[in-house]
Amino acid sequence: MDRQEIIKEIVEILKTVRTINPEKLDNVTEDTDFIADLNTPSTEMINIAAKVEQKFDIEFEDDDIDDLGSKVRDIVDLIIATKEKE
Amino acid sequence: MENLIGVAPRDVLLHGPSKQLVAKYHWHEPNTGIVASYTPNEHDVKDHFGLFRGVDQIEAFAQATIVSCAGFLEYKKHGGSFEEVKNKFVPVFISIGNVNFHHYIAQGETFVSLGIIKFNKFRQMVCDGRIYKIVTKNLNPEEYFSDFSKDKLLKYDLSDDFKLVAELFDITGRAIKKEKFNP
Repeated sequence: MDRQEIIKEIVEILKTVRTINPEKLDNVTEDTDFIADLNTPSTEMINIAAKVEQKFDIEFEDDDIDDLGSKVRDIVDLIIATKEKE
Repeated sequence: MENLIGVAPRDVLLHGPSKQLVAKYHWHEPNTGIVASYTPNEHDVKDHFGLFRGVDQIEAFAQATIVSCAGFLEYKKHGGSFEEVKNKFVPVFISIGNVNFHHYIAQGETFVSLGIIKFNKFRQMVCDGRIYKIVTKNLNPEEYFSDFSKDKLLKYDLSDDFKLVAELFDITGRAIKKEKFNP
């Protein structure tokens, strides 16, 4: 799965988050910021990470989430790194 | 240690004596929820016409539920001691959902926080719950909750010795590493 495919899957997850305006999901790129661009509430970030785990069948460490940045690129990097570790 | 029963809240909570709003844990099932009590003192109601503030009720509930329960699970996950957990993390509010107040709590009135864990992942915990005050004189909460159960907690099944004070929804907190506050 390449980075673009991962982003596509992430967008599918974001569509299920009712606090995110679906119109903002049309042009999500690696530079999109969950908080600044999508107005994702901080409480939702953890839910999104949990949904990403399920979707990609991986398990993040608590510390990974502590250190996670707020851009789409950061979660893509984490998904790839976690998959490599497993 | 299987749960927080018998543990002093001051050993679990980072809060200092004047800000600690949990006196005793009465019932605790680590992945389900908790029951804890507190009795507001003179300092707690100072400059507030003898009543315990609603905002302090939310704080007391959060300390009793998300902070205590998540602290316990973190302690169990990594071993060590509560002191190590307290040295490593600071509990922070992430969000508060609806809170409906039905009654008041005055100085000297003991109340119990009943918290149900709805979500716990990546050191973020969400609890729903209720606060009840004890209205029957001389009721011993320790004795009352000695045969409490998950079923009773989930139904908020309490006797008429308790009066509903507040319903709390989606009280969300997270344990943040201390170094994040001082990068």
